[in-house]
Amino acid sequence: MGSGIIGIYGFSRLWKMARFLYYGLMALQHRGQETCGIVTSAGNGNLYHHKAPGLVDQVFSEPKIIEALKGWMGIGCVTAMPEKELGKIQPALVEGPQKVALCFDGKILNVKELTGRVKPFVPQSEAELFAALFSRELEEKHPLDAMAELMKTVKGVYSTVILTGKGEMVAARDPRGVKPLTIGSFGFDYGVVASESCAVDVIGADFKSDLKPGEIYYFDSQSIKRKQAVKPQPSYCAFEHVYLARPDSWINGSSVYNARMEIGKRLAKENPVRDAEVVLGVPETAIPFAVAYSNETGTPLGLGFVQTGRRVRSAIKPTQFERLVGVQLKLNPIKTAMAGKKIVLVDDSVVRGTTTKNTVSLMRNRMGAKEIHVRVGSPRLVASCPYGTEVPPEDELIAANLTPGEVGKVVGADSFHWLSLRGLTDALGIPKSRLCLGCFSGKYPLPPEEGGADDGR
Amino acid sequence: MMAVKVLLVGEGGREHAIAEAICRSPQNPRLYAVMRLNNPGIASLCQKTGGEVFLGDSKNPQTVWEAAEKFHVDWVFVGPEEPLFHGVADTLEKAGIPCVGAKKGPAELEMSKASMRRLMWKYKIPGRLRFKVFKEVSEAVAYLREYAESLALKPARQAGGKGVKVVADLQAYLSAEKSHVKEEHAKIIYSEHMKDYTDIEDRILIEEKVDGPEYTLQAFTDGRTVRPLPLVQDNKNAFEMDIGPETGGMGSIAGKGPLLPFITMEEYRQSVSIVNKCVKAVEAETGEKYKGVVSGQMMLTASWGPTIIEFYSRLGDPEAVNVLPLLKTDMVEICEAILDEKLHKIRLELENAASVVKCVSPRGYPDQRELAKGHPLSIDLEAIRRHGGRVYFASTDQKPDGAIYSGGSRLVEIFAKGETIMEAGEKAEACMPYVKLGDGWGVYHRSDIGSRELLEVRIEQAQLMRAVYKYRAKKGLVGKTVEWIPRKGKLVLKA
Repeated sequence: MGSGIIGIYGFSRLWKMARFLYYGLMALQHRGQETCGIVTSAGNGNLYHHKAPGLVDQVFSEPKIIEALKGWMGIGCVTAMPEKELGKIQPALVEGPQKVALCFDGKILNVKELTGRVKPFVPQSEAELFAALFSRELEEKHPLDAMAELMKTVKGVYSTVILTGKGEMVAARDPRGVKPLTIGSFGFDYGVVASESCAVDVIGADFKSDLKPGEIYYFDSQSIKRKQAVKPQPSYCAFEHVYLARPDSWINGSSVYNARMEIGKRLAKENPVRDAEVVLGVPETAIPFAVAYSNETGTPLGLGFVQTGRRVRSAIKPTQFERLVGVQLKLNPIKTAMAGKKIVLVDDSVVRGTTTKNTVSLMRNRMGAKEIHVRVGSPRLVASCPYGTEVPPEDELIAANLTPGEVGKVVGADSFHWLSLRGLTDALGIPKSRLCLGCFSGKYPLPPEEGGADDGR
Repeated sequence: MMAVKVLLVGEGGREHAIAEAICRSPQNPRLYAVMRLNNPGIASLCQKTGGEVFLGDSKNPQTVWEAAEKFHVDWVFVGPEEPLFHGVADTLEKAGIPCVGAKKGPAELEMSKASMRRLMWKYKIPGRLRFKVFKEVSEAVAYLREYAESLALKPARQAGGKGVKVVADLQAYLSAEKSHVKEEHAKIIYSEHMKDYTDIEDRILIEEKVDGPEYTLQAFTDGRTVRPLPLVQDNKNAFEMDIGPETGGMGSIAGKGPLLPFITMEEYRQSVSIVNKCVKAVEAETGEKYKGVVSGQMMLTASWGPTIIEFYSRLGDPEAVNVLPLLKTDMVEICEAILDEKLHKIRLELENAASVVKCVSPRGYPDQRELAKGHPLSIDLEAIRRHGGRVYFASTDQKPDGAIYSGGSRLVEIFAKGETIMEAGEKAEACMPYVKLGDGWGVYHRSDIGSRELLEVRIEQAQLMRAVYKYRAKKGLVGKTVEWIPRKGKLVLKA
């Protein structure tokens, strides 16, 4: 499942970290809008926790909830999984043999095999399974070695951050590094790990670096240790750079903003629209693409849409109804920006095609746009993600089923172009061999588990 | 002619480097030492030169005087600051024993952080920061409640480098948490860090927070002339990438030459000029010549460019270890010139090399030193020598049977030199596996000190600050702040 994770370790007992975690999670809200939770520790054996379905500011709306989360260290996460049962919501909490809390962004591929190892315990989620495995390893091993062991036995892609009852924090990134994880610090006061560097910024800390694939960080009151447990075999998720991550983040040694500007530039080069009068970006991810497209071609940039209500990631909403509501609220068109004009409409991705179709038809039929040329800042999305990113199954993906020409007709565009795969890898500046391009190519760095659909929830 | 007899006061890595520099003198001096713990490096140098060790409270003037009398030394060199604060130089002077090391009056420049700042403002020395001093914790807390801003909280007296807390308070949404920490820390300074110090009345210092890369300017002075050593940059966070709690320093870089790769000649000169002005101001204020060592803990800030963060009346530790091994000028000659006020006749000559010092610390340092103490050291000196490293013993205690135990602070400091900082860094790093604790208790060091990556971070930080202070200079805003407060009007704060 997709999620955003954060862990903060204070070097002095004076710090109360719950509010830092809260704002860090708000900065990661775009990674998951279904559930959220925080667990803290004051090194006294207790793990203080609160978690629920909802957005960060809804779940933690009461000041007393944050007050009750004591301690100078803690972890938190937001997820895109619509869970209602508390036991399935992250952070996962495991009481024994060693008490641990765990946040998990990723997917375990050998769930069945691993579940057998924690019997008679029945994990309710992959996060809980991972936590249970870690807790067992802790019986005999130092947390660093326990995590190193799990890197060998767990097949999957993940970034994770763990808090132990003893007041230790462990953060790790799987050997492929599919999911991002960054580290930062604030003066002599605390260290922080987070899915994206924007969370490090928002809590006032300095971003330092990415964790390397296969790297583990360990924090306790006397030390910070780092271990390269497995040789890195990077397969960074390209979708993170194109769509998931915030443009103010740095992930995998690369600026997300720069990558998106490069994408916009390449869209302009690959298939420019002659004599267009205005470039409009679909909020919010496509805005940098549109800006760069406009810069590159000289076609003026316009503002086409205004959002209503809070920001939502409409494409990763679980149901069609929620997606529709999300899109309609986020895309109130400005008529004067588009009436009678030849328009380049830049979108971030076209998944099922319904959103784009609705938008184009609204622009043409009600706003009076003259021509609409759709440019998409991601390559054709042709395969689902076996690693937990919310890409729907192939039979729901328009690009997997229709040619670009057919897609253009379905959405009602005058012309239609997807970014080429080559254009994407060039824009990211990361060699193809170090990227996971699975959703654009159907080829995965780590084979999905046989039997496929077992999601282990 | 009889060999000159020198008594060294102190027992850290810095003192080991001083001892070695003294013993390298072609005058074949005889080295004696007063130490609280038996530093094996210094002890061995005493033995080799025909001197002796005197174990005792090295900060107590009476103890130092006794040792000086016992060994009939010609003069004394004081390494650390506490003996100076306690008046070791004054007591020795009364007894007619010359001392390289500031007397109590001039040493107050370091001892009282409040006096240092008042002095800088009184004499309008550039690189000064806005500050407030409090005698009562309640006043400090009241101030903190009124002004929620980025600031540094410090004990008003030098307290072994401990008790400083710098809090950037820029996000209004996190201000409540930060205010809590600031207030609690002010209380801790009052009730813990300042508890045992009765030599000054001020308790808590609150200072504006500045950003920028830090560096240390160390210099010899006889009160008339200031002879600077090459700049050194220390790394205070316990762990890699500048993460972790504050330590006394985990390692430092220098060179090659007088500058650091991120400080310009103009900034170096400005830093020397600031230190010079302070030495002169001290004399004007106390009527005493400043004889010994003076160091500026500097930062390249947006408000001033070179800015004073702290003053030291001694060499830095580990910074001394970067430069003293490269010193070609006779250390005995330097010291005697300081004593005779003839430092203007001395030119400091150093080997033209870059250097890196890496400290190896026991697990538990810096915050749980009791745990870090009493473990047997296991060190392969031969292997370290083979890799081009030189060992300076720090917080270690050698027992009569020869075994060496950890004292709770940094264990050893390894020096290596090279054509570039990176080359020196690689050599020092190669020595790290040869320092261990015999009982298996963990040790740690920072592998990133001396790396290109870390150096690039400093360079970038310096460029940022340089651009801003130069812009401010162009607008005539150095040391000044212009504000406009709604309903109050324009406000010019001058330094």
